[in-house]
Amino acid sequence: MRQIIMSFSLALLFLSSVVIADLPVKNVLTLDAANKIVEAAEAEAMKRGATVVIAVVDDGGYLILLERLDDTQVASVDVAIGKARTAAIFRRPSKVFEDQVREGRIAAIALPGATPLQGGIPILYNGKVIGAIGVSGNTPQEDEDIAKAGAAAAAQAIKGEKK
Amino acid sequence: MNIKKFIIGLFILTLSTTGYAQVSSKKTLTLDGAMKVISAAVDYAKKKNAPGAAIAVVDDGGNLIALERLDGTFAAGSNISIGKARTAALFKKPTKGFEDIIAKGRTSMVALQDFTPLQGGVPITLDGEIVGAIGVSGAASAQQDEEIAVAGANAVSSATPSLSVAYFDKNKVSAAFAKGAPLIEISNYKVHASRRTEPGIAEVHVKDTDIIYMLEGSATLVTGGEVVDGKTTATDEVRGKEIKGGETRNITKGDVIIVPAGVPHWFKEVKGPVIYYVVKVS
Repeated sequence: MRQIIMSFSLALLFLSSVVIADLPVKNVLTLDAANKIVEAAEAEAMKRGATVVIAVVDDGGYLILLERLDDTQVASVDVAIGKARTAAIFRRPSKVFEDQVREGRIAAIALPGATPLQGGIPILYNGKVIGAIGVSGNTPQEDEDIAKAGAAAAAQAIKGEKK
Repeated sequence: MNIKKFIIGLFILTLSTTGYAQVSSKKTLTLDGAMKVISAAVDYAKKKNAPGAAIAVVDDGGNLIALERLDGTFAAGSNISIGKARTAALFKKPTKGFEDIIAKGRTSMVALQDFTPLQGGVPITLDGEIVGAIGVSGAASAQQDEEIAVAGANAVSSATPSLSVAYFDKNKVSAAFAKGAPLIEISNYKVHASRRTEPGIAEVHVKDTDIIYMLEGSATLVTGGEVVDGKTTATDEVRGKEIKGGETRNITKGDVIIVPAGVPHWFKEVKGPVIYYVVKVS
């Protein structure tokens, strides 16, 4: 009986490794790493006395973590998520679309799922976008700076987590 | 000139007090408070080995304050958790009530705007006032979603010391002593009406100091020493089979003993039902 189970599980193991070998593997942003990214962004916001919403989404644009600092306007919740989602699913800073619109490509407003406002920055790992951070609540430049501070902490956060 | 300024000042003061009289004040949930709710919910989810959970905390207007999605939780969970929290906040009721009403046949209720009538949203109450809500999605079942939400909501509700006077009449107290039950448990202290008929196991409360007043019976109490096979059974609670070393005392009716937080203690032997009043301070 035990032998049967043994060979059965061996067969399973073999099967599953075959399946894995056939598919590319992607890295996934964890909640722990997201927490460290938000922490870095929050520190930057505190330094500036900025009231903002900070959102971190996964590579599909879905929320992993969000924090609204006390006294931040509530409308910024959706805007921050929108900026993060834009940066994640278009794999570029949301500022790109704001610039396009400003430079006359009004049609960029119609992009499905895009919030064409600066303040959304992709989070990269080994050159791939694994998620994004979006910040809203302050001036456009400040939102972007705070988001960048968060994204910049990503490399360290992810490295720290691997240990 | 000075008098003029004074009069203007008085006038402004009068105006502003009138202004204040027309608004009422209300407690609001801070980000710190929201994070406390989430961390209690996460603790509970981990304790119950939930396969995942997206946990959202919203304010009294249903607007998101904080959200966490545990690793491996399905992506749609985030939005569903926000919806549940929002529904619980704006309707000031647990969302399960709406799921039940709809299940019983009031299908047209699903047409309500901004409405997620799914079990797992629970209001957060502070001193009798609803200040927000928590929503959970992505756990093992709708039931577990709700349990996690309740665990989170309780973290803030109990974190605020109650300013109201607690009164337990003698019937309630003797009923509690009859089975050995807590009288009150809030964040900074707990009062237990304890009853013991059998020896216990070794206990360590990491944060609570036990102040014990023996009312009936006698027992052999071991304190200090080392817990054998100590395991963390709940947050800040360690239990073990017995204590190695330590000090052994016979405690009896009328004795008071104080066991500081972090010190192992063990009711090694018990003679007759032992009834004792415990105040736990943290």
